[in-house]
Amino acid sequence: MKKNFKGKVWKFGDCIDSGNIKGVMAGIDPEFHTKVQPGDVIVAGINFGMGSSSEDAPRSLRDAGVAVILAESISNIYLRTLINLGLPAIECPGVSSIVEEGHELEVDLESGRVRNLTNGAARTFAPFSDHAIAILEKGGLIPYLKSSFGKDR
Amino acid sequence: MGMTISEKICARAAGKDRVGPGDMIDAEIDKLYIKDLRFSKAEDPKGLYGLFKEILKEMGIHKAWDPDKVIINFDEQPARSMRRAEGQESAKQFSQEHGATIYQGYEGGIGHNVMVEKGHVRPGEFIVGADSHSCTYGALGCFATGIGFTETVGVLATGRIWLKVPPAIYVELAGKRPSWIWGKDIVLRIMAEFGPNGAVNKTIEYGGSALANISIESRLSMCNMAVESLALNAVFPPDERALEYVKQVSNARFTPVESDPDAEYESRLRFDLTDMEPFVAAPGVPSNGQPVHEFVGTKINQAFIGTCSNSRIEDLRVAAKILKGKTVHPGVRMIVTPASYGAYFQAREEGLLQIFEKSKVLLTASECGICTRPSLATGEVCISSGNRNFPGRMGHRDAQIFLGSPATVAASALAGEIVDPREFLPS
Repeated sequence: MKKNFKGKVWKFGDCIDSGNIKGVMAGIDPEFHTKVQPGDVIVAGINFGMGSSSEDAPRSLRDAGVAVILAESISNIYLRTLINLGLPAIECPGVSSIVEEGHELEVDLESGRVRNLTNGAARTFAPFSDHAIAILEKGGLIPYLKSSFGKDR
Repeated sequence: MGMTISEKICARAAGKDRVGPGDMIDAEIDKLYIKDLRFSKAEDPKGLYGLFKEILKEMGIHKAWDPDKVIINFDEQPARSMRRAEGQESAKQFSQEHGATIYQGYEGGIGHNVMVEKGHVRPGEFIVGADSHSCTYGALGCFATGIGFTETVGVLATGRIWLKVPPAIYVELAGKRPSWIWGKDIVLRIMAEFGPNGAVNKTIEYGGSALANISIESRLSMCNMAVESLALNAVFPPDERALEYVKQVSNARFTPVESDPDAEYESRLRFDLTDMEPFVAAPGVPSNGQPVHEFVGTKINQAFIGTCSNSRIEDLRVAAKILKGKTVHPGVRMIVTPASYGAYFQAREEGLLQIFEKSKVLLTASECGICTRPSLATGEVCISSGNRNFPGRMGHRDAQIFLGSPATVAASALAGEIVDPREFLPS
């Protein structure tokens, strides 16, 4: 699994609920699914993924190939679900102030650093636990469980 | 440095001496609640049981982690779609093959209330539920939060989840609660203070001298709303009142924990309840709360007492007290959906159901009901004792949902418009 990502940024605002994320951000931009490319990065404001715990919303972003999601804050069920689906989701205070849409962003999961390759600005975030990294490495909770049982549990 | 109730429960569940805010933990859970909807194929084409069986096969094991700790409830009775009916069949099959407890028929109702009434929620426990309102259980001094579909499959197989320990906000409730103020009024006021993001991914811990005078029903209602402030969990200290309640419904042993005097909180808020006015949330988000006088005179088409937020026996008693001997306004349909069949039968015994019938209230079976199913036409206005007032939540996107206490809902149903319930309470 990649622990270092470089990708083009798509930027979204505050308080986007899972109902609007459903269908690849269809509630915000119905055409977004035609614009986003595998490996792209989503940067959002506060409360990303608030509302319903239904998994349609996080699954749509994973299936569209989004590589990593950074937000000022992320609803806890949504954050956990993204990681359990194999998509790194990161709460990174200040991140939305250092990037604009279209910028190139580098995210390093192990060091907990995010760097804007377009303008050089940087921010840090709390690194993932070994356990979360292990889940991400296997591509999500289900493949992790299938492969790890009896080894480290 | 001391720890909070939530930190202590997280530490125990993770097998650590201490944890602090931001620590990632791998926690062993004490109980898993699953609503029947999760067994349908709504989120994954294999369904929960299909995916679970697949994992077991690949892991080379045959049983769920601990079926004694898995509680399933049918939140919709009878099922009204093929998908739901098949989900309920799948849940029954799971229960037969793995031994999980299912509540259905007259043993059931709305899952979160059933969990509490049947004694599955005990102080000091670490509980997760496959529904966002699982935070309700914190009212009895446990750490409780909602999880998603995939995580539910994981918990069934392993009994564990990974979690980031949240920082805590201490909410001190001071003064004396006026007799016409209930949990819903108090929590709507607190949520308005937080704003839409004030508690995101945090613990809300209640304390203060006013607590002793706040009922278990009101505490459940307040913790139920925690997720609407984006909090991870909310918790009340397991005081005498809580312990007494739990001992009434459960014979099982439990270990209550309290916050240390030197526990660290990220922030502290203080509310004096003494002169509090009833609170109502305007349509949009539940944090849109204001004192009821701001909304007085707003015409309504529907008044609803139901949901895992507010339809317990305390709520039914208050509504019946206001409605007794009167008739719901002809322009309003009022619907009462009791929290559980426990509450339903208790209300019958106390003569409350008969009062509702005579007041022209539509009584329904105990289930999630119109909280999740459309009942509002374009432009209609509803006042609800529920927890969500998002556009489209109860019907058309242009319909409006106000949130208030059961007293405010019942009084407004009589008047045909939003009113201050204090004017309708018999002295």
